[in-house]
Amino acid sequence: MTRLSRRAALKVAAASAVATLAAPAILHAQVKTVKITTWGGKWGDIMKASVLPAFEKEFKCTVSADQAFPFLPKLQASSKSDPLYDVLHTNSNEQWMAVNEGLVMPKFTPKEVPNIADVYPYAVSDKIVGVSIFTSAIGLGYRTDKGLTPPKSWKDLADRKLDGARGGYLIPVNSLGQAHLMMLGKLYGKGMQDLDAAYKALEQLKPIKMVDFTGQMEKMLLAGEVSMGIIHDSGVLRYEGQNQPVDFAIPSEGVMALEQVLAVTPGSKVKELALAYVDFMLRPDIQKQLSEGVWYSPSNKKVKLDAKYDARLFNTEEKVAKLIQPDWNWYNARKDDIDAKVARLLKG
Amino acid sequence: MASVALDDVAPHQAMRRRGVSPIAWLAAPALLLFVIFFVLPFGAMAVLSLLSGNPATNPNVIWTTRHYERFLGDDLYSDALWSTLRIGLITTVFSLLVGYPLAHWMARMKSRIGHAALLMAVIAPMLTGIVVRTFAWMTILQDKGVINTTLIGMGLIAKPLPLMYNEFGTIVALVHIYVPFMVLTLTGVIGRIDERLEQAARNLGATRMRAFIEVTLPLSMPGILAGSLLVFALAISAYVTPFLMGGTNVLTLPMLIYQQVSSSFNVGFAGALGVVLLVVSLFIIVAYNRVLARLSGDEALT
Repeated sequence: MTRLSRRAALKVAAASAVATLAAPAILHAQVKTVKITTWGGKWGDIMKASVLPAFEKEFKCTVSADQAFPFLPKLQASSKSDPLYDVLHTNSNEQWMAVNEGLVMPKFTPKEVPNIADVYPYAVSDKIVGVSIFTSAIGLGYRTDKGLTPPKSWKDLADRKLDGARGGYLIPVNSLGQAHLMMLGKLYGKGMQDLDAAYKALEQLKPIKMVDFTGQMEKMLLAGEVSMGIIHDSGVLRYEGQNQPVDFAIPSEGVMALEQVLAVTPGSKVKELALAYVDFMLRPDIQKQLSEGVWYSPSNKKVKLDAKYDARLFNTEEKVAKLIQPDWNWYNARKDDIDAKVARLLKG
Repeated sequence: MASVALDDVAPHQAMRRRGVSPIAWLAAPALLLFVIFFVLPFGAMAVLSLLSGNPATNPNVIWTTRHYERFLGDDLYSDALWSTLRIGLITTVFSLLVGYPLAHWMARMKSRIGHAALLMAVIAPMLTGIVVRTFAWMTILQDKGVINTTLIGMGLIAKPLPLMYNEFGTIVALVHIYVPFMVLTLTGVIGRIDERLEQAARNLGATRMRAFIEVTLPLSMPGILAGSLLVFALAISAYVTPFLMGGTNVLTLPMLIYQQVSSSFNVGFAGALGVVLLVVSLFIIVAYNRVLARLSGDEALT
């Protein structure tokens, strides 16, 4: 038996150490990774449990999903040529900020994302960056056990009976609050861009309990802390069948669209996979699964929803015609002034 | 913030000991951490506050003072600064009032088990996160919360008392969250005060109260100083609690900074707000340090 010299043993040890250290890198060289952003909660559960694994299997890649909002400051901080995300999923107002800073690409062609041929026009309208894969409707959520008449108009939120139990959003940080402010301009003034009328109308809504995100509004409605509040349909309809005394009303003046928008970053190193992911999210089967999971209205016209979802979601040409898409580019350009004005108006 | 207190202490120690002691090198990792995680990021923030955009995404940025002009040009921001400092000061005062007796009791407790139990009681709330504690306060103070529901149920009030969505609720929650920092700091200092000094004062005819005011209180000044600075620094930089408890009636600088970063994406203005908050609080801390030093005599603070 030959005895192993110390030098030989060291060589073997060094070689195996290098091999161990290099193994993940070699593995990575073969499997590409798509970096995306996505929501948490029920949506995130469905994505992690089935949607993302299906995509990974079909396209032989891995998906790294960031659920820690806010995404845009993180994307802003990364280099444009090597962005932190390949696909940015966020609401429409933020996509406009991103596109104006050159952080995402403005549009998709049907060649890049074939399924956009099947989406409703609103999902690729001039009010949208990239493509809207789902939308919710921003309307009024209300308690059914407080003897309230179900609201028919946005103006019902100003009813004095609701003082102390009216809910809205911190306008600087929440796009539902921002969309509602524009709606107030339309209701009480010359149009969505009539800010002076909107400010006056907002003042009439005081006292109003303001929250930062829709999940918090859901809690306030469920706890009875708020009897009527601005919320998207998904935030109320998802409690269907759970015996909760809450319902969602579509005001006669129309509902604002709260779009779930996907856009790809120009510096993405895996652009083909990024585009494939956008296309994948628009497939009818994926759309149906997520739509029915979280009560979001699908963008793809070919999706056939089960009866109870079909009854309430916005999935026909007539229904989507009720969706009002705010001009976020216009709003964002004035955001600083609006934030300051609103903060002063609501204080004290 | 705590660095200010250290800076003041350092020259005295340096005078006592010439040359770098080998033990001083042990501070090197802490110093390195301070440079990497405070000095560098703060420097970057200060530079960003003087630029017209984010140089990472925009190559054509120029130097500008417009973020500071915006701060000075709108009283909304100076109001926010004032309410930040006001909330910080009130929180500090109440934390001291609540914390001092508790710390005194803890420091002078003879029973080891009692001391351990009290220590656990002080520390236990710190083991749950700030968000959890704030949510707990929300369930107590909100309109349908424990207090209002009970009072309405007993027929004592008809409408819920405004306990939340204002500065009152914010301060209540902040005091609860930051009192442990005050207690732990004070306990260490009071525990080291020689009890025989108090006994001597009482032997010489001082009442219990007078012995406390003239002996214990001045000797515990370093603890009051350190605890107050800690609580003040934490309270003025608090974000979650004012955000959840304050509603639209409370607007503090950390809330504005978060809004600028997370939804206006204006890192320049956020940086300017951060610089203003730091400069103003440093000024207050230095002034506070001086006043307390004068009140208690220089010896007590070194």
